[in-house]
Amino acid sequence: MSPNRNAPSVYAQLVDLLLIQLSNYRWAWRGTVVTGVVAPVMMLLAIGLPAKQYGTGGLAYVLVGSVVMSLMFQNQNQVAHNFAFMKAMGTLDYFATLPIHRAIVVVGTVSAFFLLSLPALGVTLLLGALFLGVPLAVDPVALLVVPLCALPLAGVGALIGLLAPGPQDVGPIALVTTMAMLFVGPVILPPDTLPDWLMAVSHVSPTNYAASAIQQVLVGPVTGRLWVDVGVLAALTAVVLWVVGRKVPWHAR
Amino acid sequence: MAAVAYDVKNLVKTYPRQRAPAIDGVTFQIHEGEIFGLLGDNGAGKTTLVRQMVNLLRPDSGTVELFGRDVRDDPRHVAMLVGYMPQKSAALNRLTVGEAIYFTAHLRGLSRQAARGERDALVELWRLGDIVDKSSEQLSGGQRRLMQLAVAMAGDPPVLVLDEPTNDLDPVNRKHVWDVLRDRNTRRGTTVILITHDAVEAEKAIQRVGIVQRGRFTALGTPGELKSRVALQVHVDLSFTPGSPPRLPAGITPWKSAPDSWSLRVDPDAVPALMAALDFADITDIRLSSATLEDLYLHYVS
Repeated sequence: MSPNRNAPSVYAQLVDLLLIQLSNYRWAWRGTVVTGVVAPVMMLLAIGLPAKQYGTGGLAYVLVGSVVMSLMFQNQNQVAHNFAFMKAMGTLDYFATLPIHRAIVVVGTVSAFFLLSLPALGVTLLLGALFLGVPLAVDPVALLVVPLCALPLAGVGALIGLLAPGPQDVGPIALVTTMAMLFVGPVILPPDTLPDWLMAVSHVSPTNYAASAIQQVLVGPVTGRLWVDVGVLAALTAVVLWVVGRKVPWHAR
Repeated sequence: MAAVAYDVKNLVKTYPRQRAPAIDGVTFQIHEGEIFGLLGDNGAGKTTLVRQMVNLLRPDSGTVELFGRDVRDDPRHVAMLVGYMPQKSAALNRLTVGEAIYFTAHLRGLSRQAARGERDALVELWRLGDIVDKSSEQLSGGQRRLMQLAVAMAGDPPVLVLDEPTNDLDPVNRKHVWDVLRDRNTRRGTTVILITHDAVEAEKAIQRVGIVQRGRFTALGTPGELKSRVALQVHVDLSFTPGSPPRLPAGITPWKSAPDSWSLRVDPDAVPALMAALDFADITDIRLSSATLEDLYLHYVS
């Protein structure tokens, strides 16, 4: 009986899965242009012009909301579509018949879509800052914060893709979830424009913490609240990705 | 005696909201180096059976051992030893042909350099050179099937489990598939387990066959053993001068006829009488063939 060889290392598995999932740019780039740049910039213009009455502080919310929207479309929604596709087409079965860890598939997928989302994120941020006249003050902590904002969103997307009855159901579910999470809390609009009940509900929405963290590291100033946001986002990432790992159909479970 | 590759005992699987089991108490062994064929109607339970053998589906009861180890105890054991080709062909739609083979070989434990060599060898073996850089969603059904076969073989696993490997293929490529599988089995001792509806071609490769019906084996053995258990008829194909059909003994009638040819099915003990009755002056060609695997399959499923 052969072969007498070892299974690939965790590092090798992760690199391969990342490269395999990065190949999704072949279909995802159109969506990246439309939903990752055009839609957030249009929203930014539609809400940003009337919001000029709130001054730079109010416009910063619109800018950050557009960045969060871009992150959601590129991470949550694209990952949702990808997991639904992998489940329906047998790609998850293909991975399950190879000597790789289930968690590597999850981490490789969300990491690849995060990397694919960065150009759209950058373009949205720069166009938004230009159109709205919001000065950027990028803190190096952004290198930690931005991925941490994207990961729980990607995890929610993976759950949508895995739990949706079929690939055709993913689009509407993901869109409704995106809209709900964008408008629940001070993501696009300043907190003083929102009713108290919406502010209370916002404490359970990851976008609330993502928007707060992104505003601090991209527009400033960084305050002690950042570490609360980072803690919540890190905890959410761990919980959501663990649940995703449990829900991935894998081997004879 | 070759070692036992697969040892399947009392396997039972019933899907949720189904009354009848998809697999109903199946027990059998497959030896190392064997080419084992699973034949059966659509929905007979063949795919359910092989998905349990590659650890993608959990049985309700029973065990599947691969080289002496339960497949559920260590999923990596199966993953390292078995190359599985599923029936669905869209799994790798986002990758090019070359990428799919390379990544599979590397993830099965080959070094990056060896995986590149394996990719090139399999591209040549399966004649995929013209489409190596194409995304698999751009391929025809037959090309995608050949890519799947290359992916299943990537890394040279000692066991191949192939779910309908010749579907969507033209006759030339079907023959190529059987040739390659036979060669792999002969040269490297690869154990091949395959589901097929291509009984005529499969007969040239399959060493042992299981005929599945309603989740059970209705027949299991070598084609020769199974043929000897049932009285299958001999095929006789006659060609003659148009307008001058031969006389046939009483009780024998063609089941297929054309102006210049007949096809007959005759009991083996009636063959001498048929030969004696024919006037070979009018016969331009005559061919006798024994029962095929397809006849056997049709006999058991009818």
